[in-house]
Parts: sequence; C-alpha cells; structure tokens
Amino acid sequence: MLLIPSVIIAAELPSTTFGDEAKRGDATPEPEDANLEQNQPQQKPIADDQQAVSLLNSFCIDCHHDAEESSFDLMALTDPLAIRENLSIWTKISNRLSDRSMPPSDSDSPSDQNRLSIVRWIQQSIIREVCEDGLSPSGPIIRRLNRTEYANTVRDLLGIHVNAAHALPVDGAGGEGFDNAAETLFISPIHAEKYLDAAKEALSHAMLDPSPRDQLLTVTPNASISAKAAAEAILERFLPRAFRRPINQSEKQEYLELFEQVFEQERLFEPAIQLALEAAMVSPKFLFHLETTATTEQPAKLNSYEMASRLSYFLWASMPDRELLELASQGKLQDDSVLEQQVKRMLNSHIDNRGLRRGAKVREFATSFTEQWLGTRAIGREFEPAAAYQSRYDSELEGGMKYEPIFFFEDLLSDNRSLLELIDSDFTYLNNRLARHYKIQGEFREQPKRTELPEDSVRGGLLGMSAVLAVSSLPHRTSPVLRGKWIMETMLGTPPAPPPADVPELDGADHPITSKNLRERLEQHRSNPTCASCHASLDPLGFGLEKFDVLGTWRDNENGIAIDSTGQLPDGTSFNGSRELKQLLMQRKDQFTRQLTSKMLGFALGRSLTFEDHCTVDQIAITLRQNEYRIQTLVTEIVKSVPFRYKQGILETGAIQNPSQQGDPSDN
Amino acid sequence: MFQPTSRAQHTQVPHRSDLALRNEANTRTSISRRTVLRGTGAALALPWLEAMTAQVNALDTGVGHSDSNRPIRLAALFVPNGVRQDCWTPEKDGANFEMTPSLEPLSKVKDQLSVFTNLWNQGSNVGDGHYVKTSGFLTCTTINKSLGIDLNCNGKSMDQVAATHAQKQTPIASIELGIDPVTTGVDTNVGYTRVYGSHIAWAGPTSPLARELNPRLVFERLFRASNPNRALDQQNTLLLDRVLADVRELKDQLGASDRQRMDEYLQSVRSIEKRLQKQQSGRSPWQPLAELSMDQAPASDQPDDFPEHVRLMLDMIALAFQTDTTRVCTFMFGNAVSGRNFSFLEGVSGGHHDTSHHQNDQNKLDAYQKINRWHVAQYAYLLEKLQSMKEGEGNVLDNSMILYGSGLRDGNSHNPHNLPILVGGAAGGRITTGKHFRQNSETPLANLYTGMLQAFGCEINGFADSTGTLPGFRS
Repeated sequence: MLLIPSVIIAAELPSTTFGDEAKRGDATPEPEDANLEQNQPQQKPIADDQQAVSLLNSFCIDCHHDAEESSFDLMALTDPLAIRENLSIWTKISNRLSDRSMPPSDSDSPSDQNRLSIVRWIQQSIIREVCEDGLSPSGPIIRRLNRTEYANTVRDLLGIHVNAAHALPVDGAGGEGFDNAAETLFISPIHAEKYLDAAKEALSHAMLDPSPRDQLLTVTPNASISAKAAAEAILERFLPRAFRRPINQSEKQEYLELFEQVFEQERLFEPAIQLALEAAMVSPKFLFHLETTATTEQPAKLNSYEMASRLSYFLWASMPDRELLELASQGKLQDDSVLEQQVKRMLNSHIDNRGLRRGAKVREFATSFTEQWLGTRAIGREFEPAAAYQSRYDSELEGGMKYEPIFFFEDLLSDNRSLLELIDSDFTYLNNRLARHYKIQGEFREQPKRTELPEDSVRGGLLGMSAVLAVSSLPHRTSPVLRGKWIMETMLGTPPAPPPADVPELDGADHPITSKNLRERLEQHRSNPTCASCHASLDPLGFGLEKFDVLGTWRDNENGIAIDSTGQLPDGTSFNGSRELKQLLMQRKDQFTRQLTSKMLGFALGRSLTFEDHCTVDQIAITLRQNEYRIQTLVTEIVKSVPFRYKQGILETGAIQNPSQQGDPSDN
Repeated sequence: MFQPTSRAQHTQVPHRSDLALRNEANTRTSISRRTVLRGTGAALALPWLEAMTAQVNALDTGVGHSDSNRPIRLAALFVPNGVRQDCWTPEKDGANFEMTPSLEPLSKVKDQLSVFTNLWNQGSNVGDGHYVKTSGFLTCTTINKSLGIDLNCNGKSMDQVAATHAQKQTPIASIELGIDPVTTGVDTNVGYTRVYGSHIAWAGPTSPLARELNPRLVFERLFRASNPNRALDQQNTLLLDRVLADVRELKDQLGASDRQRMDEYLQSVRSIEKRLQKQQSGRSPWQPLAELSMDQAPASDQPDDFPEHVRLMLDMIALAFQTDTTRVCTFMFGNAVSGRNFSFLEGVSGGHHDTSHHQNDQNKLDAYQKINRWHVAQYAYLLEKLQSMKEGEGNVLDNSMILYGSGLRDGNSHNPHNLPILVGGAAGGRITTGKHFRQNSETPLANLYTGMLQAFGCEINGFADSTGTLPGFRS
C-alpha cells in the first residue's frame, strides 16, 4: 500500500491558480467516462513525459547521477518512465521538489511553474499506474474508539444518557483531518486508568436507573436460579453486544470465572456481575475496532459483523443496532441491495411538524464530519472573537452558528439532496438568535429550524454560514487571505503552500487595518512576484466575502466607507461579491465533488487515503456526475467501494510473522 | 439552553463521591504515618529526613553527596508563540543580572532562578514555524513531517527520561497537564497534524503522552494513587488480569504493525496493575511526604476562566511534588499557534498567536510583552508556592528544577535560536542558581537538559544532540 505523499496533496506550489483550469483539461488522467474530462479538468499545468525527463535532467542529474556522490542515484532508474517499479522513489522525488528541499538553495532551481508541473506529472503518473493496476484495499482496521465513539457506544450499550467519555483525554486528528484516524489514536499510560474509571462510572449510573438496569440484569438469582446461572445469562446477552460480534464458549467462561472470583469473596451478586461487565468494557475487545486478518491470498471481503461495525461507526459513530446485528447474523451485509437499504435507513432523520429535527443517530456523523472538515469545531472552543465583537456574541448565537452547518448537512443526507447545495442553496437552518443575526423574519426557537431563504438572500451554501466566515477570520478583523485559503483548502482540496521563510508580513501597521486599506496593502504585497504566485489567487476569493464581518454579519460599509467585494482572478475572470463567487465555484463542481468525496472516504475508512484510494475517489466522482450529485449516492458508493468492504489478502501484507515468537515486553 | 459547549453535558454526570469515603476506609498495613498524623490537621508537610528510611533506601545513593537522598523533582512548562526579545534577555551576565521587564515578576525568587541565553534547538530549525518547535521542544530532535501516518518524534522527551529513572520511587511516573484540548484537524498548509502542536511529552518515538486538562481529575488521580483502597484494589486486580488476558489473546492474532498498538494498551493496563500489586503487597517503600486531603480538591467543574484554570493546574503540580506522588511533570500553557484571547490584560486585544506576529508594530509589541509577562508571573506563582512548602531544612523548590520556555524565540520570525529558557530551583543544591548563563551562540538546548537530567540522578553522558553540559551549571 502506498501513501500519498502529504505534501503533494497538502501543499500546492505557489503557481496555484484558480482561473485557468478549464483551459488545462487536456492533461487530466483519463477517467473511464470521457464526458467527465471537460468538467473534471486538471487545474494545473502539467508536464508531459518528455518535458518531465528533460526538467529532471536539467536540475537534478548533475548531483544525482551516481550513488557515490549522493545518497540517491537517479541514473539507477534505468527507465525514468517506469514509475510503477519505483513508486517509493518517485514519491520521494516529488516530496523533495514539492517542499523545496531540492534542489538545494545554492543550486539552479526550476521556476515555480516548472517545479509545479513536474510534481503534478509525478503525482498523476503514479495515480494512473496504480489505478491501472486495479484497486486494492488496506489491511484490517485496528484502532481504538475515539472519544465521540466511546461516548455513543456506551450510551447505546447501556441505554444511559450521560457522556461517559467526559473524562477521557481529547483525541487529535490525522489523515484526512478527522479524529477517527487510526494513525493518531495513540494510547498513553493514562488511558487504561481513564477507561476503568469511565466504565465504573457508566455502569454505576446504569445500575441506579431502573430502565437500563433491567436491560442489563435480565436475570437475577432466586430460589430456582443460581447466581452463576444468572451471571451466565447476563453475560451471554451483554458480551456479544459489547464486542459487536458473537462470542465463543471460552470467552463467556472467562468472564464467568471473573464473576465467580469476586462473588466468592462477599457473596454479593450485583457487585460481582458489575465488575465482570466493567472488565468487558475495559477489554480491548470493546475498546478497539478489531477486524480479523484475511486468510486468503487475494483481498477478502469483510465478514458481516465487520461490515456492521464499519457501517455504524461511519454513519452513527456508534455500535451497530439490533437490525444491523441481525442482518450480520444472516450474512447479508455484503449484498449490494441490503447495503443500499441500510444506508438509507441509517441516514434517516425525522423532521417533526414544527420543522425540527431531533435525536437522529445520523447527527453524530453530520457533526463529526462537518465540524472537522469545515473547521467549525473551533466555534465554542478555539474561536474567540475580539472584545469589539463580544457584545454581539452570546451563547445562543454561538450555538446557532455551530449547528447551522451540522443540521444543514444532516438535511442533505436524510433527504438525499444534491451535494452541490453546499456551494449554494435556497434554505438553511436557523435558531432564533441566528435568524436575527441574518435579519431573517419568522418564528424561531432555540433549536435550529429549516428555513427557506428569500430570493435575494446572501445566505445559502457554506459560504453564507457565519460559522465558516468566523473560523476563517482573525479574532479582530476579517482576513481575505485566510478566507481565500479556506476556500481553496476546504472546498477545492488545493491548499496553498505556506509562505516562504522570513517573508515580511504586511507592514506599516501604524493605524488600524480596515477593509479598504487592507485591500491596498494586499495589492502592494502582490507586486512582489513571490507573494503574487499564491496571493493572486487567494486574495480575490477572500475579497468576495468581504461584506461578511468576523461574525458573518452582513455589512455594506465599514467606518462609513463602502466595502468593495470585487475580485479578479489570475485568468482575468472578474466577479462581484459572494453570490457571483458561488457561481464561479459552481463551475468547479467536479473539483468540489472530488474534494468532498476524498474527505468522506477518509472519514469512512478512519485513515489517510492512499494512491489506490484516489482511484476510488475518481470512480465515485463519475458515478455522482451521472446521478445528479445525490449525496446518498456518495455515501452508498463509499460503502460499496473496494477499500470499504474489503481487506488486504496475505499476498499484500507480506510474510506473516509467528506472533508467539514475540515476547511480551512488559512482563519483566 | 441549547448551547454548543460539551461541558454542559458533563455536569449531568455525577462525580465520583467515593473519594472521601475511601480516605476513611483506607486500610494500609505498612508504617501508618497517616494514623499517627490523623487529627493533627491536613496537609502537613512532613520532614523527609526522619521517618523516611524506607524511601531513602529506595533512592539512588550512589552520588556520594550529602544531599543525594533528597527527592529531586523536574517539571517543564511550555509557553507557545515565543517572547518579545528586547524585554526578555538581561544585559548583565552572571549573578548580577538585572530583572528585565518580562522577568520582573520573578524578583522574589531571583536567587533560585537561572536565566539562559543563546541556547538553541537545532533539530527544530526545519519544517514549519510551530509544530516541530513544540513536539521537539523537550526531545531536541526533528519530528517527522506527517499528517498522521509515520507520526514520530524520533526520540524521547527529557522529562520522560527522568520519569523512567524515577518511576519506581513514586506511585505515578509522571503527569502531563495542559489547558487547551488537542487542537482539531491537520494543518494541510504545512503538512503536519496538529497533534504535534499539542504535545511536548513523548514516552518514545511514536508515543506522545495524552494530557489531563481538568484540575479536579488531576487531583483525583493523585489522591487515589496516594490513598489505596485495599478491597477495591483487590477486585480491580482481578479485573485487570482478565483484561490483560484479552490483550494477549488479541496480540497473538494481529499482524506485526498492529501489535504495537495492542502493546501500548498492554503497557497502559500493566502500569495500573503494577501499582496496585505494589500497594497490596505492603512492600512498597513509598510514603507520601505530605498528606493529601480532600479539602485541597478543586471544584469538580473545569473552570471557564483561563487564569483560574492555569492557577489550579499549577496548584496541582505543587501538590503532586509536595506529596511526592510524582517527581516529573510537564505543563502546556497553550498549544502551538494558540490564539488564546488575552484581552483580560489591559492593553491587549486579539489572540496570542496573532499578537506574536507583531511585525515590529509598537502596539502589538507592547501587547506581546504583557502576555509574556503574565506567563512569567504564573511561573513565579508556582516557584513561590513550592518555596512556601517546607521540606527538611529547606523547601520543595530547593529540591526541584522547574524549566520554563518556548520552542521559538520571537513569534515574528519562528526562530529556534537563543530560546527563552529559565530554570527555577536548585535540585537539592546540585545546580547553580541566581545566575544569568550566557553561552556561545548556538549552544545546544540539549546541553542544559543533559545537566538537568544528571542533576536529577540519571546516569547519562548526553541527551539527543547535546555536545556536553553548560559550564558552571552543575554545582
């Protein structure tokens, strides 16, 4: 399995331009669907094979021509075009070029344009080679539940409504930017202690509440049922749900033994069974997503229980429910039609007669996914507007802002709308305070409600949402640069490169920055060609949103001076304001679709995407184009994709070591 | 109320109320200092010299110094975003250094303070402006550029070297504390996961240590570790045995790369089990150096107020050290690139990170310095607090080394040269204090760490990229 070099995906080189993609479409790697080509254009100039080789010859070969002189010998690549044989080497070359660590600063370097074109050439060549090779899944998933998943799983397992994860350490994010990425869900010494406390607390809570208690203690000892028999019955029901799969006899026996050991001490049934249940909740069989290693040489389909968990943690961030486990027991969770039905069921969120959505499990997906994709999790956390805004910012507005994109996304999922509504839409979700903030009339409450927007509204789509506008601002003023970067990174998947080291920032700040002088300063700034290479694309995009302030409030003037929200892109395209900006983005709907697909696939798989996964993204993008960009199509295609429903075969995992030869390092 | 804060949900969860009970039910069988002291008032500072023979025996006694038996503590306090340079470094070297505007809050403990100039962290002089300089702050290595896969600091942080050395002598090897939750997301702009900007303690190359953010939970952890409950612990041992058996069973079924994760969990479970076993066996030589009382517990909710939150965390460090529940601690005032709003300070508006990009604007520089000074004042609070805690002939600060610093010099340039670094406390007389140490430029920060670890008792010749130790640092 190959990793996408992060810098390729993550950091575009400075000649990133926004306006020229339609003209560059000819160099795109060919998707199966020829129609896609026109709307799926390559946004970058890209070298052809001969140009690429000649660029490498000009700038690299002087040093990298024998293994003695440098650690890395380009000449060893006898056929520079045989990329498939040397994927890791090419990845390294492209990484070094992309992050400017090669060629060294005292050597001749290619222009930014050429540097970019060769990086793109390597990247596209690799993906083309890999896709031709056929899709291959990654290994089985082994990762611990994250904090959200833990809380939801305990809630569903015990039927209690407290946040059992409140004292667990906060997880960081990895991969595609989500906190369910296996690679960053590390385990510290403190974790076991925290899990032990959390299990005890949650079970104590459940035991004190009649309904969950009855669900757990289905049988209690009496004259005709011994304590052991009662414990056995309880464990038989609890363990398969806790481990999300059938258990075998010996597993049941092991936990029954634990019960007996404790029961013998004081002859008290409840404390003893509670301890056995606690143990199950501290066991890695509960705390980890665990999939068995394939035994076949070729990639193997996940078993039905593994599919049940993948589905439920993807769409609910929790354990499978009764229906999923039932289908798993019938072995049906690899049937396409069953998967399609289940996706529809799992995405469903009921809307009541007051227009409110309540308590759907898909909310967990909508929340985890949108907050982390959009960066709006910072609302109520890192985001803190400067003092000047505090009088307008209260907790109800904060709540309205934070939940608008979540409810909106939940609506798209449940009602199977077009994912392009994220670019522009004629409705959104508002609570009372946010409606006032947006100057929208109507009856609202504290809970966000679906609201049709007036014809001429500046709201609708992500770029009209205050949460997005706030997290792409500085605390004390708007930043066209940050907002432009947000659009390129979040919506189009092409983040600009970081500024070169030691570039002076905007200077001469002898008086407060206003929208007007900011524009002048940024224009001055762009007269420097190094800065211009990125900022010529970034700044105009951000200026298109200048009529929204730090909190996303609409403004026509600042300090009595009319705000100019026009922008001109490097290719000469001009636009005025956010509505025209949305139209421009709509012209890049396939780039947006691919970006959303990549993000959602990364979330569904809980890991960084590989080159192979980008072939899957390409295929799903084609299907979406043929299916009106319906968002349930996106989810269903992910669920039916090779990386989601298969795991690596033995041939790909390489030789399996004999685990028994590995000592246990802690037993000393 | 429909609010986004997750904290609102937390209040529904009843907090453990059995702590106070456990105190009563404590059935320790070894020397019961506790019994002797009961009724003489809580939080007594105990002389470490008299009754601690068991502990003394457990300490490394090889140094041959009269002070060698003192329990030495080591803490590292990390501040994000650098400092305003012209208000930080004293002009005069040696013992006569002057207290600069940013150091001035430390005046009362000047004789216990060492100021370092011209230390740099070469390993962090690459990559990006913040992440490498945070995760690499205590490791003195270059961390892998990564969004997640291949997350690796390529070393071990100096506090963890100390923790490994002292782990057998206290119930808890080390505590990792912070204020901000791990910053969300990955920074695709520079190609690093923000996990890197949220951790300074690394138990190993791929093991950043999760931090505790809630002072109440820190207290409960300290309390439990120093007040075992025999009956409960016995049952927990049985429970953990079951869990360990499950871990081993799974390990056997996993491929090599996945086995590492399961190993991490195994270590985590084992660490509690070992502590419980030690406590149950009655053979543990450890006794608290001061009584921890429930009266000292902070309120159960994590404070919303930032300064109060910081103070409580510093109080927990002081309690942990005073009681000798652990000897090693790290604390992060904020994560890398922290945009913390410091407008509670007069003359400051805007976030910390944005202010640190001062562009030599006088207003921003002034605000930046006020933020720096506020952090130093918190550090002074901790040092003074430790100084007020009697221990033997002296106080806890005498027996501590409290490192304070940032991973970059100046927020405007992100440079890891001439880092702002302070050490408070004399490590039981093993290090020189009350002095401004001006080194040759580009002296490795690891040279200071090497000296600190040696003073802590670690038998090492060097640490990470060290080239020696700082002349005159060890006394």
